[in-house]
Amino acid sequence: MTGRCELRLNCSAMPDRAKPLRHALGAFLRAIEIDADVAMDILTAVGETVVNVIEHAYGHVARSSSGLVEVVALAEKAQPLRVDVIDGGAFVHRRVPRPGHGFGLRIVRAIARDVSIDANDTGTHVKMLFDLSDPRDP
Amino acid sequence: MNAGRGIAVLQLSGELEIGRKQEIRDNLQLRGGEESVLVDCSNVTYADSTALAELLRFRGEAERRNVPVAILIRSRQFARIVQYAGLGETFEIFEDRGEALSYLAGGRTP
Repeated sequence: MTGRCELRLNCSAMPDRAKPLRHALGAFLRAIEIDADVAMDILTAVGETVVNVIEHAYGHVARSSSGLVEVVALAEKAQPLRVDVIDGGAFVHRRVPRPGHGFGLRIVRAIARDVSIDANDTGTHVKMLFDLSDPRDP
Repeated sequence: MNAGRGIAVLQLSGELEIGRKQEIRDNLQLRGGEESVLVDCSNVTYADSTALAELLRFRGEAERRNVPVAILIRSRQFARIVQYAGLGETFEIFEDRGEALSYLAGGRTP
């Protein structure tokens, strides 16, 4: 990859939007020649962040398609890949996850080099940095 | 579908994600009479935490009825997300169908 490449996706935070968002990001990662295994993990982490927005950010409002989710991926030569997931809803953090819930952030933290969450009255901005080499490689 | 010896087989395929939550839940149900269940995810290409939550719910329901469950997973992404979620020791996971069926038929040692 040379130079700087940015992908910006914006759509309703609805359950049926998660798949096309993920596939669009997958196409971007292939186009900039990210290793397939690394890309798989990035898609898993970003996918979980988007699922969190769909499930929690807007509550019942998401069902009426008025809530939005934005995904911005920024790739620069010799830099970790940055992916931001932005919404205009509320961040839900459970200190004690309910059984069968609360895996999303754990999965994201297991994959990303760094995760930061900026939540305020106007919405939530999750910033993730991903190394572009597979740490499982010898 | 039945694999014999009282083993019911539930098939899931494609991308198991939030957009299919209800479909996944509808598929992961005990019908009654099963001695054990193989959840065959060998044709699953992607899974998210929605799928993990539904598998965990199903496993809990089966455990309450004393019905052993094995899960067949061949997708690298699926196998990895199970580990990332910290569920590697929670589910009885197999890559090989024969080994999964042997386990359910009575071996019970994954």
